[in-house]
Amino acid sequence: MKKNMLKVSLAILAMTGALYAKDYRVLKPKAWTAKTVDAAIEELYGKKTLIESPDVKLNAPDVASNGGAVPVSVKTSIDAKSIAVLQDVNPESLVIVFDQNENTVPNYGIKMKMKKSGTITVVVEGKDGKLYSAKKTLEVALGGCEG
Amino acid sequence: MKKIMLALAALVMMFAAANADEAKTVEPQKVKMKIKAKVKGDVVKAKVGITHEMLTYDQAKKKGKEPNFITHITGTVNDKVVYDASTSQFLSKNPLLKFEFKSSAAKKGDILRITYTDLKGVYYDEKKIK
Repeated sequence: MKKNMLKVSLAILAMTGALYAKDYRVLKPKAWTAKTVDAAIEELYGKKTLIESPDVKLNAPDVASNGGAVPVSVKTSIDAKSIAVLQDVNPESLVIVFDQNENTVPNYGIKMKMKKSGTITVVVEGKDGKLYSAKKTLEVALGGCEG
Repeated sequence: MKKIMLALAALVMMFAAANADEAKTVEPQKVKMKIKAKVKGDVVKAKVGITHEMLTYDQAKKKGKEPNFITHITGTVNDKVVYDASTSQFLSKNPLLKFEFKSSAAKKGDILRITYTDLKGVYYDEKKIK
């Protein structure tokens, strides 16, 4: 009996997930003020080891000509709950978190700021409870936060 | 037993509705955005361009202006969420976003609505999916 109750309420929660957007800025406020990549990941997802995976695809130029607009694309074939993009050169590390639901496709393109040359990290929060990642170190020609 | 299940379900729905209401206390304003969405096989490919200064705290200080950047962007079709991004001051000025969603969630002729929240309010625009 208890199992059934749990199934029904989980099903309803899952349905509402597809109808209501998730705001990680409200749910995980400390993740957005964290100054290191590791601290931001821990605030978002807890203390878990990152598993570097070829199934997390991160694309960014080797040399970004404009640090104010670095084109980054992330894609994964892993069954994901959410995807986070972080970097280690701006005042705070977390850039963006994409929530996944039954309608979304984990394939995103953004343009982001990077103050100087550094490393971009993508973390995929798997439905299996594990964290998968990919990194790319790139050179930035003109700083991105100076306006 | 059924009564308990129904009561629990009702509680969950109320909880979800209450949380959704919190996000909807501001009436969204319509602004001009560049939205393109096209059905391609089993996905809809979308490209969104938002005109926004995305002023970081540092940039705002230097310019003597108030910081303002987008903190959340939602893409919805027929009230279904197809894009859900929580963002920071580190997206570029005039953000350009590319994404896809399953064409099981939408079809040609449906309307893609993009809503974003920044430090000052909530804004939206819509476009028909081709």
